[in-house]
Amino acid sequence: MAPHAGFDTDQVKDKARKDILYLLEGVRGKKNLVIETALAGPIGLFVKFSTLQDYGVDKVFLLENGNADVSQRNVVFIARGECAKHAQSIADHIKRMQRESQTGHEFSIFWVPRRTLVAEKILEESGVLGDTSIAEFPLYFLPLEKDLLSLELEDSFADLYLRKDPTPTFLLARALMLIQQKHGLFPRITGKGDNAKRLADLLARMRQELIAGEDSNESNKLGLTPSTTIESLIVIDREVDSATPLLTQLTYEGLIDEVVGIQHNQADVDSSVVGAAPQPAPGSSKAVGGAPAPAQAKKRQIMLDSSDKLYHQLRDTNFAIVGSLLNKVARRLQTDYDSRHGSKTTAELREFVNKLPGYQAEQQSLKIHTGLAEDIMKHTRTDQFGRLLEVQQNLAAGADPSSQHEAIEELIARDAPLAEVLRIMCLESCISGGIKPRDLESFKKMILQAYGYQHILTLDALEKLQLLLSRTSPMATMIPMTGGASHHHTGTKTNYTYLRKALRLIVDEVNEHDPNDIAYVYSGYAPLSVRLVQCILQKQHLTSITRGGNANAAVATGGASQGWRGFEEVVKHVCGQTFDEVQKGEDKAVKARALLTGSGEKKTVFVVFLGGITFTEIAALRFIAKQEEARKEIIICTTSIISGNRIMDAAIERSTLGKSGV
Amino acid sequence: MANPTAEWEKVGDKFYRKTQLYTAVFDQDLELENYIVTGCSYGGAIALYRDESKLHSFRGTQASKSSIDLYSCAGKLIRRINWDKGSIKGLGWSEDEKLIVVTADGTVRCYYDLQGDFTQFSLGNGADEYGVESCRFYGHGFVTLLSNNHLISVSRYEEPRPKLLAMPPEGNVHSWTLIPPAYTLSRSVEVLLSIGQTIYVVDATESEDRMLDIGPFTHISVSPNGKFVALYTESGRAYVITSDFQNRLSEHDSRSKISPKNVQWCGNDAVVIAWEDEVHIIGPNDAAAKYFYDGRVHLIADHDGVRLITNDVCEFLQKVPEVTDEVFRFGTESPASILLDAVEQLEQQSPKADDNIQLIRPNLVEAVDTCVKAAGHEFSIHWQKQLLKAASFGKSVLDIYNSDDFVDMCETLRVLNAVRFYEIGIPLSYEQFLRLTPENLVRRLINRREYLLALRISTYLRLPTDRIYVHWASQKVRVGSEDEDTICRLIVDKLAGKRGISFEEIARAAYDEGRGRLATELLNHEPRAGKQVPLLLNMEEDEIALDKAIQSGDSDLILFVLLQLKKKLPLASFFRVINSRPTATALVESSAQTDDGELLKDLYYQDDRRVDGANVFVREALKQPDSRAAIDKLALATKLLSDSKDTSFELKALQEASALLKMQEAFDRDLTETFTGLSVNETMFKLIKLGYQSRAKKIQSEFKVPEKITWWIRYALSPSSLLTITNEPLLHSLRALVSKRDWAELESLSSTRKSPIGWEPFFNLILAAGNPKLASVFIPKAAGGLESAVLIEMWEKCGMRVKAAEEAVKARDVAAVDRLREAAGQGTAEGREIERLGAGLKR
Repeated sequence: MAPHAGFDTDQVKDKARKDILYLLEGVRGKKNLVIETALAGPIGLFVKFSTLQDYGVDKVFLLENGNADVSQRNVVFIARGECAKHAQSIADHIKRMQRESQTGHEFSIFWVPRRTLVAEKILEESGVLGDTSIAEFPLYFLPLEKDLLSLELEDSFADLYLRKDPTPTFLLARALMLIQQKHGLFPRITGKGDNAKRLADLLARMRQELIAGEDSNESNKLGLTPSTTIESLIVIDREVDSATPLLTQLTYEGLIDEVVGIQHNQADVDSSVVGAAPQPAPGSSKAVGGAPAPAQAKKRQIMLDSSDKLYHQLRDTNFAIVGSLLNKVARRLQTDYDSRHGSKTTAELREFVNKLPGYQAEQQSLKIHTGLAEDIMKHTRTDQFGRLLEVQQNLAAGADPSSQHEAIEELIARDAPLAEVLRIMCLESCISGGIKPRDLESFKKMILQAYGYQHILTLDALEKLQLLLSRTSPMATMIPMTGGASHHHTGTKTNYTYLRKALRLIVDEVNEHDPNDIAYVYSGYAPLSVRLVQCILQKQHLTSITRGGNANAAVATGGASQGWRGFEEVVKHVCGQTFDEVQKGEDKAVKARALLTGSGEKKTVFVVFLGGITFTEIAALRFIAKQEEARKEIIICTTSIISGNRIMDAAIERSTLGKSGV
Repeated sequence: MANPTAEWEKVGDKFYRKTQLYTAVFDQDLELENYIVTGCSYGGAIALYRDESKLHSFRGTQASKSSIDLYSCAGKLIRRINWDKGSIKGLGWSEDEKLIVVTADGTVRCYYDLQGDFTQFSLGNGADEYGVESCRFYGHGFVTLLSNNHLISVSRYEEPRPKLLAMPPEGNVHSWTLIPPAYTLSRSVEVLLSIGQTIYVVDATESEDRMLDIGPFTHISVSPNGKFVALYTESGRAYVITSDFQNRLSEHDSRSKISPKNVQWCGNDAVVIAWEDEVHIIGPNDAAAKYFYDGRVHLIADHDGVRLITNDVCEFLQKVPEVTDEVFRFGTESPASILLDAVEQLEQQSPKADDNIQLIRPNLVEAVDTCVKAAGHEFSIHWQKQLLKAASFGKSVLDIYNSDDFVDMCETLRVLNAVRFYEIGIPLSYEQFLRLTPENLVRRLINRREYLLALRISTYLRLPTDRIYVHWASQKVRVGSEDEDTICRLIVDKLAGKRGISFEEIARAAYDEGRGRLATELLNHEPRAGKQVPLLLNMEEDEIALDKAIQSGDSDLILFVLLQLKKKLPLASFFRVINSRPTATALVESSAQTDDGELLKDLYYQDDRRVDGANVFVREALKQPDSRAAIDKLALATKLLSDSKDTSFELKALQEASALLKMQEAFDRDLTETFTGLSVNETMFKLIKLGYQSRAKKIQSEFKVPEKITWWIRYALSPSSLLTITNEPLLHSLRALVSKRDWAELESLSSTRKSPIGWEPFFNLILAAGNPKLASVFIPKAAGGLESAVLIEMWEKCGMRVKAAEEAVKARDVAAVDRLREAAGQGTAEGREIERLGAGLKR
């Protein structure tokens, strides 16, 4: 076995591409694909439609549309195996096609990421199991960026916290297990939160099961010794910090997500904002899921990833400075472009012409982002946005919640978007340990009257999510401050009041141009979730800023990771279980691995956000990664990218009374 | 010791050798000519089945019972499988030594362990109707030819999916064969059919005529690497062509009138043609050699040669490996042969040994390597030893030599000799051993229940031993005569501390044997839930199965168990099982949410979860097409909550929802506009907009909409609402007025004394609507509770810097005044005015 270098997300991408092409190759001849909608986007990220065509794909249909035709003998379904719904709809498809056409069709199903007993049971009961050949397409992590892996499970937040369905945790454990098998065990697993603990337990269990597995040949055994290229795994359960995603994200990428919405690195933007698409569709935007949708003709799909250099530069900056950055780039581009007048010799001219495509691409992207930034600016300048932000920041800073109630009422009365209103209410509930019963009741009543009685279900869901609770509810109570030995008062919720001070969540003097703390991502609020990561990775730095020392003091890490050491007390005030486990292997095997791979100086730290991560938190983690650049590499893993609105979407009931199907 | 070249035979410019592997293979009574003999590759087992087309003498009732007999290559009976399932049309082996039996009606049995245990499936696709004609097998699949010329392909034995290949033409199939998928461009199996004069190539999608005119062919055979095809015609000519039918490589005339029994490839270089008791080997360029036998000889093709089986001997015919050729060829002076000679001299203590070494000194490394390799290809232990000794001697002279290959070869030969021993009877060649891999060799030994040897080899080669133990233990629980406790203790003691033991497999064996309690006990030692659960379900240990599934965290497994339980148990018991397990309950809830409302209602009812139960009805209400039906559903929800104190809010909300629907229904009817589906606020807004003030008022009082909210809502567009504004100036909707751009009315509002929402909203909304002048009118009114900085900003927003400056002066805010002056510009009238105001301040 070749000594493998450290972890590289590109490998994940390559493997995914190879896997799907291999599977497609196995189905001989031309074929039609029927893909689950939620998978179309992710698949488009790593394989272009033209490549699929090279492998015999003729047409692509979306499973949910139920309109796949019978033009090809081979029909390939690609869907998530975890969802019984898809198995049923595939069975219906197959039965319909068999009815409609005389040719004997060949049906294949690629289950993502694994085949499941339940899905096959359903196929069996529908009587189509024998007519299909079934394969697994083990697509777990999808690399969104070089430092960002996501399972892209859209419903993972609702699954975990609303329906208490452990599937996302299980799949995440599987995905991490694959990394461990390839690169060795995470030498240390540190984490916070009940689900995080469950994940760690699952990993331990899977390790045992793997050892028990029959295929315990040499390469597997090697995989089960601690890695020399990975430093540790940090697991943060979304539940430990529900407040952060409720706040409006203030980085450029975060705001695009809030205002336009980003899905699988893509955003559908009005073409009036960013201009029409250039003639040959750029990059892979015309990818798999490109099912033509005439209704969205005015929308243009733009790719938002680091292949766009300008975006790479802008994405994680605070939106306040995006304007001036764009300005600077525009001016530089102009001077570069004008330099052609200065070119005298033909050689100089040729050099200029060679650079032209680069300029054009840059100009194109500049145009897109100027348009986009302007559009967002329009939004952020509204009175309503200002009002929302003010209330959010007051609540985050610990202002008396009742002082904000008038503003909330006004927002409801003025028909502000329901998601925004609910976000503020939930924020209050999370930060101050529930809302006073009388206030809560009057809020609820106002919501029902303003937005409709179907939201009885919405409010119930929010309560189940423990996001909107009455102060009398035992679940809303915060973990008491230490010292106060009041035993009758035992709460379980994260105590923001304590942590605000202990971890210095509020940083007043943020410099957005040249930030010195992660708080810049929310213009003055440091996300608790990322502060927890700092508790592990940047102990000295964090100590210096919380004790009021000089924030610019040398950022040193205390050797290899030391778990929660130094912050045990603080962490007690965050909800959920705390753990810090060391995974050991046989000494001999450890030495063998060290010999084989060499101990690189720079090790990888995997930071896992179970239940979802926001773009602002990603920005904050990247900020830390930048500071730690010399010592370690940070890879962010998550079940999905979330935002406050997406959390609310999990709860909000869409249909209305008396008008079904509207 | 016989010279190794004694059995060499020259075919063209290459040598072929025939190695005698075993003697006295079969009983002399066994009439081999009356049997179908098929052997597994890699020196595997041989299956014998009496050829049904041959007459055979009556030998009393005992012998007439038909059976499939499995022998080792040395003729040791491994297992006799009694057969009463009708006529066998296909008998073959898979690469991993599974015996496949195909009957005339298309039933396929896959005997997976040489011990008579099998799985069974049916070919379908018309096999039972037309009948199976014959079968051809490859590594992990086979193809069946039906009597109507249809071809059915099975490409794997785990979860087999028999598939019909493309339709070949009608006509008598003289002979046929296949190219395994691993060697075809299409990655699908390809079948070659001799029909008429030509050959058709059939794969999954098409059937293509290869346009030959030299047929018909009585035999077709594809070389092991899939590159060449040997064809044998009725007229006794043999052709070798490339498998893409592009080139004819050689041609041979056997000059035989009798059709041969078998045509097979010997490696990839020569073709072996076998008649009843005569075997020809044909090399390139029409070269040939012949062997004669006393009785019927059967051919078993392997990857690198052919095994020849008669009653007396089992022989292996192969091309002499190059290294062997180099060492032993008569008259050779290769360094390796000189080295071999040197070691013989050394044994005779002759000084010539050293002379030899000096002679080949420059090529010594090469000579050692060759000797090591040649030892591997040698079946005779004597020559293995000689060659290794030679290598060892050469090695000792060398200063630096990497001995890894030498050590490996010694290990490998030990293993090979052990399994070649006649009691085991696996005559693996070195090349076959490399292809088979040691792991699979161990697997074959396990299937032969040669546990001790398997264990020794595994330990010797540092391979996992878990399978051996598991197999042994499974066998133990099947046939062990001890009582269950003893067996369990015996197994657990023996297997304790061993890695990778699957107790599930052992437990399953125990369960299949009817030892339920033993199975449960053994299963407790199994670490993998995924393995435990299905067996536990089989054993009807439902709750344990559910608990194990939950422990595994695998939701698929949990749901699978739940699905089974739901089907099996009465509802009440099902609920009892899940109630104490929150994860199970959560999964039942979330999967029922989409499709099984009734189950949810029952679940919530028995668990007294009223709000959840009511919400199921609310969800149903949302699905109703009209208000009537929705109201009915809401009433059901209401009923659920009616006698509970804690749910008064929810109850009230539900009642209000119904009341609203009823009122909206009336509005829809009376006002010929659609109100249904709107919220309370939206309904009020629309009513006001349409001019139905009193109805709006009724809604307000009915639903106790707070004054403040109403104030925000009620500014509707219509002129009629403007009328009411004059009557009740304080209750007018700002929004609506603004959106109507009714500036005059708004201005008149500014003269009112009080507004419940303050005046700032007026300012903001009017400003946003694009009338800064009117907006500014509201600034003084709003001034009450606001800070000066805010006021300055408000004035500025209206473009009234002077007014702003006045405010700044009032607040003694020098900085603001300066800033304003800057903004206005020094020279302008505005600037001067501000300067004047500021001057007063600076003094």
